[in-house]
Amino acid sequence: MLSKFNYLKPKSLDEALAYIKENPGTKLLAGGTDLMIVLRRNMEIVDHVLDIKDIPETKRFEYKAGEGLFIGASVTVNEISECDVVAEKYAAVKEAADSLASYQLRNRATLVGNLCNASPGADLASPLLVFDAVVHIAGPNGIREVALENFFTGVKRTVLVPGEIVIGVMLPDVKGDTSVFLKQARIKGHDLGIAGVSIRRTGEGKLCVGMTAVAPTPIRLRNLEESLQSKPFSAETAEWLNEEIKNHIKPISDIRSSAEYRLHVSGVLAQKGLMQLIAMGGK
Amino acid sequence: MSKQYRHIGQPYDRKDAQEKVTGQAMYVHDMELPGMLHAKCLHSPHAHAEIISIDTSAAEALPGVKAVVTGKDAPYRVGLYMVDKNLIASDRVRYQGEIVAAVAAEDEVTAERAVSLIKVEYKPLPIIHDVDEALEAKILVHENLHTYEYMEGVFFPQKGTNIASWNRTLKGDVKKGFEEADFIIENELSVPAVAHVPMETHVTIAQADPYSKKVKIWSSAQSPFAVRQLLAKSLGIDKSDVHVIVPYIGGGFGGKAGIHLEPFVTVLSRAANGRPVKLKATREEEFNLLPTRAGMRSRFKTGVKKDGTITAMEIYHDWDSGAYADYGVNVGKTAVYSGAGPYIVPNVELHSRTIYTNKVFSTAYRGFGHLETHWAVERHMDYIAQQLNIDPYELRMKNLLRAGATTISGELIYESTGNPIDCLNAVVKEIGWTGRKTDEERALEMKTGKVRGKGFAMLQKAPAMPSYTSTAAIMQMNEDGHVKVMIGAVDMGQGANTIMAQIAAEELGLPIESVEVVWDVDTNKHPYDWNTVASKYTFMGGNAVKKAAKNMIQQMKEVAAQVLRCHPDELAHGDGYIYHVHHTARRIPFKKLAMGYMYENGNGIGGPVIAHGVYMASGLTNPDPQTGQGRPGLVWTFGAHAVDLEVDIYTGEVHVLKIASAFDIGQVINKKLVDGQVLGGVIQGLGSAMIEGYKFSPDAKLLNPSFTDNKIPTAKDLPDEIVPIYIENPQNDGPYGARGIGEHPMISVPSAIGNALYDALGINFYKLPLSPENISLAIKNHKKA
Repeated sequence: MLSKFNYLKPKSLDEALAYIKENPGTKLLAGGTDLMIVLRRNMEIVDHVLDIKDIPETKRFEYKAGEGLFIGASVTVNEISECDVVAEKYAAVKEAADSLASYQLRNRATLVGNLCNASPGADLASPLLVFDAVVHIAGPNGIREVALENFFTGVKRTVLVPGEIVIGVMLPDVKGDTSVFLKQARIKGHDLGIAGVSIRRTGEGKLCVGMTAVAPTPIRLRNLEESLQSKPFSAETAEWLNEEIKNHIKPISDIRSSAEYRLHVSGVLAQKGLMQLIAMGGK
Repeated sequence: MSKQYRHIGQPYDRKDAQEKVTGQAMYVHDMELPGMLHAKCLHSPHAHAEIISIDTSAAEALPGVKAVVTGKDAPYRVGLYMVDKNLIASDRVRYQGEIVAAVAAEDEVTAERAVSLIKVEYKPLPIIHDVDEALEAKILVHENLHTYEYMEGVFFPQKGTNIASWNRTLKGDVKKGFEEADFIIENELSVPAVAHVPMETHVTIAQADPYSKKVKIWSSAQSPFAVRQLLAKSLGIDKSDVHVIVPYIGGGFGGKAGIHLEPFVTVLSRAANGRPVKLKATREEEFNLLPTRAGMRSRFKTGVKKDGTITAMEIYHDWDSGAYADYGVNVGKTAVYSGAGPYIVPNVELHSRTIYTNKVFSTAYRGFGHLETHWAVERHMDYIAQQLNIDPYELRMKNLLRAGATTISGELIYESTGNPIDCLNAVVKEIGWTGRKTDEERALEMKTGKVRGKGFAMLQKAPAMPSYTSTAAIMQMNEDGHVKVMIGAVDMGQGANTIMAQIAAEELGLPIESVEVVWDVDTNKHPYDWNTVASKYTFMGGNAVKKAAKNMIQQMKEVAAQVLRCHPDELAHGDGYIYHVHHTARRIPFKKLAMGYMYENGNGIGGPVIAHGVYMASGLTNPDPQTGQGRPGLVWTFGAHAVDLEVDIYTGEVHVLKIASAFDIGQVINKKLVDGQVLGGVIQGLGSAMIEGYKFSPDAKLLNPSFTDNKIPTAKDLPDEIVPIYIENPQNDGPYGARGIGEHPMISVPSAIGNALYDALGINFYKLPLSPENISLAIKNHKKA
C-alpha cells in the first residue's frame, strides 16, 4: 500500500463534516471492505481517512411504526440480516444481506457502504430500490434527502458532493408486503452477482422491480412495473416477465459473464421471483 | 490379504493436528530473522516486450532501500527439465506478471514504494496467445531455444519453433488399426489454465553469506533437495553450499515443487551484502507471477469395431505451457504413457507437444497432466459409446486394462498392478447406474426445470519422475526407547509424517505415540529425497522407513544376542523388548539397548542405535525417444468416479448429489488421511470441472488475478455426498501392498461431471469449466438447433 494517510475517528457529525471540509479527498471508512481494496491495490493514493463508526447518527438502527426503518451508515450487513423487523417487513433486504460476500465480511461490511461504493452490482441496492429507500446525506448545509433511485449517477458514481457524508437510509414503513431477492453468481458461495433482482408486492398488490449488474447503475424498472400493473398476478405473467424484462435492461459482457447470459438469467430470475411471490399468496 | 497389523489400517489423527489447530505450527510467513529485509517485485505490464531501459536511481535513493536488482544483476537461468527461465527478465519479458526488477528494503512499505519508483521503458512485441498461433511459429517466444540446456533423450525441443518438447508414442500399426475399424470417431477437447491456490502463498527467506558461496534458505517448498540442486546449478555453486530448511508449509498441490522464488531472493540477499531477505508472494502474485497448471487442447481420433473394441488411436495433446516450460515439459511427457487412459489400445500414435505462448507459465499441479488428458479421453470414450449406441459402461469394460495386457508404452499389467475394472464396478453400483436416460425420460424431466444425470469416468496415474529416483530414512532411538524418524519429504498436509510414523511403529512393534517423524526438513540434517511430488511417498518412503526399522531391530538383536548368548535369528521383538522366541522371559527392553547395553559390572557393548533405510525406484526405463515405449510407471493407481447430479436447465446451475470415487490403493494405511485426500481432491476436481480457469485479455493480460474473479469452491459448492471406496488388490512391492493416492482423487472429476451432464441434457461439452453460464447457454443453443 503506497498511501500514507491521517486517520481520524470523530465522535460527532459536526467534527466529521469540519474535517472533510478542511481536507478534500478524505475517504470515509465504515466497514472498509471496499476501501481496503482501493488502498491495497493502490487504485487511489489517499491522504486522509475518516472513520465514521463513532458518529452517533450513523449508529441509529431503528424502526418506528408508520415512519419506517432507519439504517445508519455504521450498521453492518449481519446486523441487518439478524434484525426481526427486516425479516418480517423487508424480506428481500434480508435475502440480499445474506447473499453479500461471506459471513465474515458481513460482520464488517455496511449496507450504506454497499450503496456508496455505487457498484452496478451492489447486492443491497435492488431491494432498497423496490422499498423506495431514501438516502440521508449530511453536508455543510444540514441534511438532505435523496431517493435511492436518484442517488446513483453512473458506475461508481453518486450524487454525493465533496463535504458530504451519508448518515443512513430510510425505508418507508410497509404493510402487507411480500418481497423476494434472487441473485445469480458463478458459484453458490461468496461471489459477486452476475445479475440480481428484487421484486416487491405491496399490500395493495402493486409490483416493484429492481435489478443490479445489468446497467451502469442499480436500476428500478419503472416502465416494466407500469406494464405489470395491467397484468394478472399469475404464472402466465411470470412467463411473460421472463421475456419482457430483457427489454428493460442493458447488460454488458465482462469477466464475470457474457451479456447473453446476463440477459437470459435476468429473465429466469424475474420469473422465478414472481412465482415465489405467487406461492407466498400475495398476502 | 491377512490384516493382522497393529498400526497399518488404523485411522489415527494426524500427528500435526494439535499444533496446527492451536496455531503453534511455524510457517516461513511467521519467521523474522535479525536484520531481515523485505522484498517486493516489479512486474511486467506487457505479455511480450523488449526491455529498452530500466532506471532504478529513484528507488535506490529512497531511504531504507538496501538493494535493487534487475536482470543484468542476475544473469542466471533456472529449470528442472528445460533450463529456459531467467531469474529476472533481462532484455525481454515473455508474460504479463514476469519479474522485471525487485527491491529489498528495511520494511515492506519502503520496498513497495521503491518498486513504484522504478522506471522501465518497453517496446511491445507481437504476442502468441494460444497453441495454434504458437504452432505457426511466425513469432518465437524463445528464439534461442536450441541453445538451452535440457534433459536430453527425455525431452525434444524443436529448433525454430515454439515447441519446448515434442514427445511421441508409437505402438503397433496405426494405419492397419484404422483399417480394421468399423467406425472412426473424432473429438477435440480443451481445458483452461488453472491456479493451485494453496492457502499459504509462496514465501522464501534467503541469506547469502557475503564471505563465501554459502546460501541458507527457508522456504515454503515441497522439495528442499530439488531446491538445493537447482539453486546450486542456477547460481553455479556447489550443492553443499546450499542449505535449505522447510518448516510447516500450507499446501502445495505441485505449485511448490521444483524451484521458484529461492534463487531470485538469494540474488537479492547477495545484493544486500548478505542480509537475510524475505519475499512473500501476494495472492495476486500467486495467480500472476508464479506458475499455473497449463491449459491444454486434445484431438482424438479413434478406430472402433461395432462391438466397441478399440483398434487404433491417433492423439494430439497440445499443452499451452505459457512463457516457460522448465517443469511443464515433464507434464507433457506423462501423456506418452498415460495419455490414452487406462485402456488396451493395440495401435497408437500419440503426440504430446509442450508449447510456448506469452502467458503465465505452467508447472506441476496435482494430477500432473492427468486431469487434462483424462478430461479429453473420458469424454471421448463417452462420445464413442453414444455414436455406437452402446452403454458407456460396456464400452469401458471391453477395453479397460487388465492383467496380461500392455499399456500404450508397452508396460505389462500384472495382477499386482491393481485393477481398474474393480473400481468402475464399485462406483457404478454406488450410483445405481442402469444405463443412459432415454429421450422420453429426459423430455419428461425437462418440464420440471430440473434434470438428473449420471455419469462416470476412469482414471489412472503413475508417478512422473526420473527412472532413478531415490529416497532415504534415518531413524534414531532415544534413551527412553522412543524413536525419531527423519525423512527428506515434506508433509505439506498430505500426511506423510503420520503415515511414516505408522509404518515405523508397525515394524518396531511400538505404540504410535513412541514414534515421531521430525518436522522442519533440513538438507543439512535430513536424508535425501528427490521431490515431494507424484503420489509416490507412501510407496517409496514407506519402503525406506520399513527397511530402516528392520535395520534398527537387527542392530538391537545383534547386541541382545550377545547378552542373551544366542544367535540373533533366535530373537524376536515386541512391546519394546527384544526377546528369545521360545524363552520369552529372557528379554531386554529397547531402552537398555538404545545407547548401547551396559552389563552389571559396567562393561558396555553396542552403541547408539541409529538405522537407515533407502529405496530406489527399481526396473524403470526412459521411454524410447522415437516410440515412447518403456517402463516409466513405478506404481500405477487406477480409479473411477461416478456422479449423480441435477441441472437447473434455466440457470445452468449444477447440484452434485453424489460423487462415488473408488481407487485401487492396495492397502489403506490410514483411512482418515486417505479420506482427507479423496474429499479434498474431489472438491479440487470440482473446482476445475465447474468453476476455475484463467481468462486473458486480447493483449494476453490475466483478467482474473485475484479471488474477486478467480473463484474456487466454497462450502456451499460441495456435493451433498462424497463416497470414497477403497479397493485393496495389493501391490507386491509396495509397503503392506500400498499404492499412492495423493493426486488421483481430482483426476477425471471433470470428465465424470461432463458425462453426467450428457446423460442429463443430451448435450456434449468439450470445454471446461462447466459453469452455469456455459451450461445454460449450451441448453439455449441446443434448443434452437
